Amino acid sequence: MSAELRSRSTLEDFTVELDVYSGPYEGLLALILQDELEIFEVPLRELVTLYRSTYYPVEAPGNIPGTLERDTNFVDSATSLLLLKGRALTPTPEAEGGETDEGFFSPQDLEERLLTYLKIRRGAEALGERFAQNEGFYPSGHALRPRVGNLCVHPDRLAAAVRQILSRMAEPEVRHLGTITVTVGELVTLIQASLTRGPLSFEDLICGMNRLHSAVAFAAALSLASEGRLILSQSEPFGPLTLEPVE
Amino acid sequence: MKVPVYKSTLECPERDTLSASALIEAILLVSPRPVTLSVLLSATRLPEPDVRAAIGELRKRYSPQASGVVLREVAGGFQFATNPLCADVLERFREEARPAPLSGAAYEVLTCVLYLGPLTRADINVARGVNSDAVVRNLLDRNLLAEVALAKARAGRPALLDITEDFLLAVGARGRDDFPALETLVDPEEIARLRERINGNTGEHPAEDQSGGVK
Repeated sequence: MSAELRSRSTLEDFTVELDVYSGPYEGLLALILQDELEIFEVPLRELVTLYRSTYYPVEAPGNIPGTLERDTNFVDSATSLLLLKGRALTPTPEAEGGETDEGFFSPQDLEERLLTYLKIRRGAEALGERFAQNEGFYPSGHALRPRVGNLCVHPDRLAAAVRQILSRMAEPEVRHLGTITVTVGELVTLIQASLTRGPLSFEDLICGMNRLHSAVAFAAALSLASEGRLILSQSEPFGPLTLEPVE
Repeated sequence: MKVPVYKSTLECPERDTLSASALIEAILLVSPRPVTLSVLLSATRLPEPDVRAAIGELRKRYSPQASGVVLREVAGGFQFATNPLCADVLERFREEARPAPLSGAAYEVLTCVLYLGPLTRADINVARGVNSDAVVRNLLDRNLLAEVALAKARAGRPALLDITEDFLLAVGARGRDDFPALETLVDPEEIARLRERINGNTGEHPAEDQSGGVK
């Protein structure tokens, strides 16, 4: 890596090459946070070594000014990964009924669990060898098209799929909001009245409102925008939001 | 053993006589999935000893030493597949890489389901001591695991996961019985060492009987 890149203060240019992942470091973090990649499959030591060899190569010793922020960010994220990995590796089984057993195991229980896990580990090793031995068998490429009415779906699986499609999502918890004293309709009226005077910033609209009113005002603005009754514009991500009347 | 020759159902003089092995060979050629013995019997309408003899003949003809195509007995049936010795050439021909090997965690999840299953996702998490949902999702995508039923007696009726035919194909197994018992895979000395470590860490010692001897 060139001295210019090494002097960058962000981690945007840090790419990692691991067995389980290859690409930008920030992408790795995103995959871990989204549970797309298991944290305990990521070799943290290798990650740290990679960072050091990338930004502090042996052939170019010495610190480069202005990189403290980048180093701090890396240490911060690496520490979080370490914590996450530690938590993931700590056995915290859920007891029947969803109650957590506070992580306490009797010696007999611990012995039984560890013995079961040992067997699973050895079984997994044997299975891995078996997978390797059976690599490279490619079956006939001649696939007949399934005949209509020849497909068999287990009634239980079909019922589960239908239930999943038709089931409503769980109602979100709203107790912390207190009594809801405003409706979207009221805020729609307010927005429409305000827009008669011309474009309006969202900040001005919600000035003096509490959090609940602000949230409902945002919902009302989105609703009006989706119906084409006003134009919502934002010059940059997280920038100020402007409401404009439709001509 | 001499394989009997049967009259073809087709009214074609050139194909008037076909051996049992030829009929089975044709069926296996067009089937991308393993074909069970009962399906072969039903399709060929031949007696079982003749079909078995024909399979024996095909097995010799399509042995890894003699052919680029081999006859496998997997997932409860018979299947033609390419000889693994030709795999590199085939991958070059098809311009595709061999699928990436599974992770250690994936093998552990498969072992749990194979030996202790069918299991729910929560059962797998408990067996491994860590959350395995992402691994299970990956294995479902690869069709090595499948949701086969619902655990009706459990709260929320979670799905039960089991191994699939693709799993048996991938490990070259005829069925669940084609795996060694889990207990035989662990060295008794290793178990003894583990017990010793646990008892040492928890301060417990093997129970003593009334006479003070170790049980």
